[in-house]
Amino acid sequence: MNMLQSPICELLEIRYPVLQGGMAWIADGKLAAAVSEGGGLGIISAMNANASWLREQIREAKSRTSKPFGVNIMLMSPFADDVAQVVVEEQVPVVTTGAGNPSKYMSMWKSAGIRVIPVVASVALARMMEKHGADAVIAEGGESGGHIGEAATMPLVPQVADAVHIPVIAAGGIGDGRGLAAALMLGACGVQMGTRFLVAKECGVHPVYKEKVLKAKDIDTIVTGRRLGHACRGLKNAFSREYAKKEWLPETSMEELEAFGVGSLRKAAVEGNEKEGSFLCGQIAGLVTREQPAAEILQQVCEEAEALLKGASQWVNG
Amino acid sequence: MTDLERLEKIICEYKELEPGTLTPETTFQELELDSLDLVDMTMACEDEFGVSIELDDNLKTIADLLDLIRKD
Ligand SMILES: Cc1cc2nc3c(=O)[nH]c(=O)nc-3n(C[C@H](O)[C@H](O)[C@H](O)COP(=O)(O)O)c2cc1C
Repeated sequence: MNMLQSPICELLEIRYPVLQGGMAWIADGKLAAAVSEGGGLGIISAMNANASWLREQIREAKSRTSKPFGVNIMLMSPFADDVAQVVVEEQVPVVTTGAGNPSKYMSMWKSAGIRVIPVVASVALARMMEKHGADAVIAEGGESGGHIGEAATMPLVPQVADAVHIPVIAAGGIGDGRGLAAALMLGACGVQMGTRFLVAKECGVHPVYKEKVLKAKDIDTIVTGRRLGHACRGLKNAFSREYAKKEWLPETSMEELEAFGVGSLRKAAVEGNEKEGSFLCGQIAGLVTREQPAAEILQQVCEEAEALLKGASQWVNG
Repeated sequence: MTDLERLEKIICEYKELEPGTLTPETTFQELELDSLDLVDMTMACEDEFGVSIELDDNLKTIADLLDLIRKD
């Protein structure tokens, strides 16, 4: 029997307090539906795609599940205005946002009854989002795969939890029941995982990508892009090593660096190009060693967390 | 203290600058504040001035921020 209880489950009408993070080029309608069917919240990544692609993916998800799912909107996308409209028209229940400040869409989404959950990397941004009416925030630490901030999950989550009154979801470096239980102890009401869901059976990322994540060890990721102000964590490979080398050379211009990175995630996720691809993934990859159906991942993570939380009193005398 | 002085104080403390080194025309880019820093400072200003500030893309200089503070 499922015992984990969390305000996030009520807010989002889900069974397990676990979100599958938006992942550009990877998290599509099929993966999102599988996660939602399994009792978590699946999320489609709108990334830089246009309105018709997103609409297609939303309909794909709806055809596979009647459970709630979400869409992740990257605010820097050239199509942000369009996709912000699509989620309203398609009555998507939950929107998460990344790469910026979603306040200009907030009233439109709220009046459509959408739950809005911005990803934040600092206390101040969390406070600002609460002020603008966010229903919850995802506090994402720098252990995560993808674009990251400076603060790590362990210090960030309790500080955000102290600063806001809305539910906090922890992300970054969480890959099993221990991570989920720890996040709840830090003051979060649930977690978002990206890297663990990268290797879900229903995840359509290129098999080479999955293989690399499954093989990765604890120290196999590297952060690049700090010089351009968009730090990104991914696996060490020819591409990321070359980028890291180029990044701080005085003769490398910002434009050159920008151009070097363009399309690299697509090359990894769609083509499985080991040399030129950017295999974004988090530090928790070392713990992720098996491809499993999304539903099994959810069940395993939550059952493990339940057992740990029930046994937590062993640490307290009397 | 004028509003500008109060704002200057916040920014100088934030960036560990000597008071008097800023003008209304100083840009946040010159101050090397990234987007997270800017949000952080905006929230500090909200606390200091007791106002609600709407961040927008046109926010470039100290004078712009002062306008936003006074608009509320
Ligand atoms: C390959 C990849 C792509 C990602 N793309 C996005 C994205 O487009 N938008 C976003 O908000 N977060 C993105 N993320 C972050 C995830 O949604 C999630 O917060 C993060 O993976 C959690 O940390 P973990 O990898 O340690 O589980 C991405 C993560 C990965 C691994």
